[in-house]
Amino acid sequence: MTQHLYLLSLIIFLPAIGAMLLLFFNRKAEEAMRYFALMVTAITFVLTLFLLPAFDSSKAGIQLAVSVPWIQSWNVNYQLGVDGINLPLVLLTSLISLLAMLASWSIQKEIRGYLILFLLLETGMLGVFLALDFFLFYVFWEVMLLPMYFLIGVWGGPRREYAAIKFFLYTLFGGVLMLIAVLMFYFNSTPTDTAKLQGHVAELAKKDAKDLTAAEAKTLPVLRGLYNVENAKASPRGSFDIIELQAIGQGLAAPFLGFNRTLQIVAFILLFIGFAIKVPVFPFHTWLPDAHVEAPTPISMILAGVLLKMGGYGIIRIAFPICPLGAQYAAFAMVLLGVWSIIYGAFAALAQTDFKRMVAYSSVSHMGYVLLGLAVWKLNENGTVGKEYWEMGINGAMFQMLGHGISSAGMFFMVGVIYDRVHHRDLNKFGGLMGLMPLYGGLAVGLFFAGLGLPGMCGFIGEVFTVISAWNYNKLLAIISATGVILTAGYILWAVQRVYLGPEYKGPHGEAITPINEREAMIGFTLLGLAIFFGVFPGLMFDLMGPSIKQLVDNMDAALTVSPEVLKTAVGG
Amino acid sequence: MDTVGLENFLIVGGILFVCGVVCMAIKRNAIGVLMGVELVLNGANLNFVAFSRYTKLGLDGQVLALFVIVLAAAEAAIALAIALNFYNNHLTIDVDRADELQG
Amino acid sequence: MDPKTGETLAKLLTAAWLLPLLGFAVEIFAGYLWSRRSKAAAYLAVGCIVGAFLCSASALYLYRQLPTIPVVHHEASHQHGKAGHDETKPVHGEGTVVAKEEEHHTDPAPRMHSFSGTHYVLAKFSNLKISIDWYIDSLTIVMFAMVTLIASCIHVFAMGYMSEELTEEYEDHQVHTSHGHFSRPGRFYKFFAFLSLFCFSMLGLVLAGNIFLVFVFWELVGVCSYFLIGFYIERKSASTAANKAFIMNRVGDFGFLIGLMIIWTSFGTFQFATRTEADGQKQLGLFDMVRGADGKLDLQDEPGKKAVLLTDDHDHPLLAADGTRRSIPYILLIGAGLGVFAGCVGKSAQFPLQTWLPDAMEGPTPVSALVHSATMVAAGVYLAGRFYPMFVPEVQLVIAYVGAITLFVAATIAIVATDIKRVLAYSTISQLGYMMLAIGLGGWAAGLFHLITHAFFKSLMFLCSGSVIYGCHHVQEMPQMGGLRKKMPITAYTMLIGVIAICGLAIPGVDVFFGGVAAKLGLPASFQNVMSEKWAFSGYHSKDAIVATAMTYAQLNPLHALLFILPLAGAGITAFYMFRLWFYTFAGKPRDQHVYDHAHESPWLMTAPLILLAAFAAFCACGGEKGFLFTMLLGSEPAHVADGLAAGATSKLALPSHHQIHDNHATAGFYALVVAAVGTFTAYLFYGARQFKLNPSEVQSRFPWLYTFLAEKWRFDDLYDVMFVKPVHIVARWCAATDRLVFDGILHGACRIGIVVSHWDRLFDENIVDGLVNWVSNVTYGAGSSFRYLQTGRLRQYVMFIVVGVVLVGGFGLFWLMLRIRPS
Repeated sequence: MTQHLYLLSLIIFLPAIGAMLLLFFNRKAEEAMRYFALMVTAITFVLTLFLLPAFDSSKAGIQLAVSVPWIQSWNVNYQLGVDGINLPLVLLTSLISLLAMLASWSIQKEIRGYLILFLLLETGMLGVFLALDFFLFYVFWEVMLLPMYFLIGVWGGPRREYAAIKFFLYTLFGGVLMLIAVLMFYFNSTPTDTAKLQGHVAELAKKDAKDLTAAEAKTLPVLRGLYNVENAKASPRGSFDIIELQAIGQGLAAPFLGFNRTLQIVAFILLFIGFAIKVPVFPFHTWLPDAHVEAPTPISMILAGVLLKMGGYGIIRIAFPICPLGAQYAAFAMVLLGVWSIIYGAFAALAQTDFKRMVAYSSVSHMGYVLLGLAVWKLNENGTVGKEYWEMGINGAMFQMLGHGISSAGMFFMVGVIYDRVHHRDLNKFGGLMGLMPLYGGLAVGLFFAGLGLPGMCGFIGEVFTVISAWNYNKLLAIISATGVILTAGYILWAVQRVYLGPEYKGPHGEAITPINEREAMIGFTLLGLAIFFGVFPGLMFDLMGPSIKQLVDNMDAALTVSPEVLKTAVGG
Repeated sequence: MDTVGLENFLIVGGILFVCGVVCMAIKRNAIGVLMGVELVLNGANLNFVAFSRYTKLGLDGQVLALFVIVLAAAEAAIALAIALNFYNNHLTIDVDRADELQG
Repeated sequence: MDPKTGETLAKLLTAAWLLPLLGFAVEIFAGYLWSRRSKAAAYLAVGCIVGAFLCSASALYLYRQLPTIPVVHHEASHQHGKAGHDETKPVHGEGTVVAKEEEHHTDPAPRMHSFSGTHYVLAKFSNLKISIDWYIDSLTIVMFAMVTLIASCIHVFAMGYMSEELTEEYEDHQVHTSHGHFSRPGRFYKFFAFLSLFCFSMLGLVLAGNIFLVFVFWELVGVCSYFLIGFYIERKSASTAANKAFIMNRVGDFGFLIGLMIIWTSFGTFQFATRTEADGQKQLGLFDMVRGADGKLDLQDEPGKKAVLLTDDHDHPLLAADGTRRSIPYILLIGAGLGVFAGCVGKSAQFPLQTWLPDAMEGPTPVSALVHSATMVAAGVYLAGRFYPMFVPEVQLVIAYVGAITLFVAATIAIVATDIKRVLAYSTISQLGYMMLAIGLGGWAAGLFHLITHAFFKSLMFLCSGSVIYGCHHVQEMPQMGGLRKKMPITAYTMLIGVIAICGLAIPGVDVFFGGVAAKLGLPASFQNVMSEKWAFSGYHSKDAIVATAMTYAQLNPLHALLFILPLAGAGITAFYMFRLWFYTFAGKPRDQHVYDHAHESPWLMTAPLILLAAFAAFCACGGEKGFLFTMLLGSEPAHVADGLAAGATSKLALPSHHQIHDNHATAGFYALVVAAVGTFTAYLFYGARQFKLNPSEVQSRFPWLYTFLAEKWRFDDLYDVMFVKPVHIVARWCAATDRLVFDGILHGACRIGIVVSHWDRLFDENIVDGLVNWVSNVTYGAGSSFRYLQTGRLRQYVMFIVVGVVLVGGFGLFWLMLRIRPS
């Protein structure tokens, strides 16, 4: 436990420590600061790699769990851990941060401030993914917000203030809704009948571990966490522990406490809006194009590669397991929004003339698949129909998050490379870049094809798995979502044609076009290599995520079928 | 009407008091004003002692009268000191000229 | 039978499949770094593909060594099934040998073995599994041999054809920039890298053991096609054509994806064949689930709920979790079939998605030969054949009509096309229509037979056209050619072989004579078979088989007579336009003296592949339906094809049996030959013979509307532009505008309201809230300063105040006391 505590804490706080150490550098030693920050992100990445051997991918549930009391009077703990759901995202975060840091050489203004904010941002992101205490999660969520605001607002393009404020307001709005839900959970996770509970826990505690039924074995730790029998003075209190809240929401702590259906639905809607803003889901998506267009290239990479994933992660880690009834209630709306985002985003991307804006809308479209895959939970009066298809959908959605993290970061980087040279992004004023910058052209086309969902690259697996799993849920919506493949091909190929193909460059600053340097090529090759690697061997990731997702699906299914009445209301009978 | 009763004392005390007040009101000389104050105080003293003597208050009246005497002495000392200082600064002890404390 | 053979075959074909990928990886990186003048990439690519061919050829040899499966009669096979006869033996943990023992036809072709196995698992969700599977039967092996052979020839040809790219300064005359002509470094290496990648994808498609994997490679060949069509990236027309090809293919793939969804959700597997896993668990394949051992569908025919009951590989019913029999609604089976077929429509350029293929001729000619005639576009037909057991008669009817319409439409357009490559492109579409038609009509082997023969003669003709274009310095318009046979004899005569092959011409009567001679001489049976067939090139045999199937189908289903008339008419038109092409190009007098003067025969590097391909185009179908190729294909024919289908068994439609087709063979062959001869003769009258002087332009001016209609390709492009492209752009603009105006508008409105409200708030705060506080303080201050005047500083005045005050207080006190006292 102790070494896990150190490892996980180091992963989270190493960038923050690095940020503090940057203060001691000479103001003029910009190169040294850059290399130092790069080293910090690299070490962080290596540290996250250390999680892999420590993690047993055949097991479901939280591993390497650590919990240290933080604010005892409110039962807030410094609680961290990894499972199959957040481990891939932690790896993605540290990797994209490393690459984005490598891409930050193009930043010229106020280097020290930039690097410090960047590293603080990384701390926030890693903290969000690793936190298992809702309060801690919320804190990291907000920690991540502020550096991002400044990174866009100070180092961004011409309309940076507008974009930064838009981003900030949207995310903060979502955060506030989330906070309401946090408090709802906290104040409803206090047992009503403490005397009975005490007796029950004592009785269970007396039993031999092997005599417990499966349900009891799951219940006991939850109840213990809420009411510590070993310590007679302890009184029952509310909880911020995500794992405990999940168990309560799934009815494992019944009959002493549980979140009733109304509470779950209200909380779910609050949480969903909070996370949907981050994903982003139509109609909460308009902050994204502006933020992307104005953000500097490395920040765009992080925004697309990591920040958007927090929305999906929040849904799968918090909203779904804590409010299974709410999730079921909203499933259709979620699928509908997902499909709508796919199609709408693709159409909007088709109409853009700004290169970066087009890529930003493609993110809206691609993240629609995530929502679609997550929510394909079909139900009838006997329970879940085709559970394995839902499991496939969630797996597909998770994979789509990873795949999109790689391909969209790559696409934004590729846009950034050309923007650094010619300082414009008008799609109609490019052309012929393949001839002028052959290596760059090849890498860019490769990454754009990864975004297009070409088989053998990471985008394909996620898209196709989610879409295929959707048929089980709703045939019409599945068909509509499948039209996305045509539209995606349309806007990507059209953009590729206008930017890379053709005989000559048609825009301004043609003299500034130089072949990409080794640093840029390295980033491009890494991303493209990963895109191909995960496209060819998706099994590696599925093995990592599979057991945890299967457990999630089973638990949520069990939560719903625990009583016929619940099932009946859920089906609407 | 052979005995001297409370009323007689009160009448004397009242006359003393009124004389004192009138003295305070009409005298422009600070010393005169001080004399008026003494008269008022002694009028009141007389009342205290009379009430003490003719009612069941016990020694309270006498004690208070003693307090007042002491107080009057102290007051006279301070007041004379003020008057003296005032005279030193302004070469007069006309209280109407001493209006520097006006709002 | 050696159980290891399956493993060996799999290894050989996997090697053949992966070799080009290795080639690609090396070529694309090394080529970038090496000199532009180096031919190394080409040598590597040729080495890889020839290596792949050798692997495939040895696999073919090995496969032929396997004994065919003995014919088992119906009852016996059922007994086997009941006795739990071990039909499947695990091989090496992963692979499984599946011996098909369903054959019970009276005079059947020998059945051949099929093998399947897994390379590795892509993803596993509870009991759902998607993996990289392989499936090998005779069709796979024939396709492998065909693809690698043709690809080898074309690679060699391309070394000559693309040699102009071996330079640092390649000048592209078709591209104009703002400052004159355009030149760029040659891309010789890139061309071969993409060719290699294409070969890898194509072979993967053929080897794939599940429909999902087919989809994967389906898209990959699509993207290779995109790269190769758009090889001249500087040309706007090329990149547009590449986009068009990819997007139209994606439209088809959209249908394919829906098919995949239905299959995945209904069956829970993508696998073709039943297989036993390493852990001993049996993984049922699609075909075994849908069809019984006799190849029949197990129908549950309740009104309104027609469904197909699923069985396992031994015909035992499959049960759902609740104990009822698992089934798939008939309508979904139709949907799945149509969905997958939609993918085939896109890839094989069938109506209504045919318009991309002619535009795809923007690619270099070797690409047209390999990708857009011989292999990739035939993949649609291959998949329709591979997926045949999943098709129900209604789906087949759709396939047949699509094929028939396509073959006719494309053939009519080919009559008026003048670009030599475009004529061939339309001819390709038309021939693919024939194949689809055959598959739709139940002529499984006939369709795939035509696929193979067509691949040879069409790649030959494309290479010939490439040779012409190369020889004429990139002139492609036939009206500028003429009389070229004197300048380039090898090209001309190999082309003639191809033309004869595609037209399906044969010499009647010779077969009877030679058959008799062979019988008299007592030659071996296989020789006798060959001798007694018609003297004709490959196309005759395959087209003959298709026409015979069509004729039988039309007899069985008189309502669909059009399905016989169109291909028959198509055969005539084919002969007409192909000979038109040949006469136009090679015969007669030169029309453009300049082009003629500079024309020359291509170097041996290019003519040698022509000769090799010509030999195959002529003789690959030797022996016709008794020959090697056809019997090989027949060995993998789905079990239910041979018996046909009686009307009413599954649906109202009947499908012809082998026997019925055989009876019509001679008649149909005769019709086809006559029509082809008429077409040839007409072409001769118009373009070949000078003494008749039939003038094509006169006919043109007689029917101007028809000519324009055909020349504009039935106006499909305009139609699609109006129907799809423009609306999509309009909707896209709407979406973008909605974002800008509505959502951002709402946000901005909210912000503006916020600002206005905060402005009011400021006013309120400053005036009312602050005002109140200030008023209170002002009043207090004012009161204070007015009271100030009371403090005069006059001692005597104060005394007066005290006196007055005391009097007043005393007076009021008395008054109050009096009030208190009085009432009591």
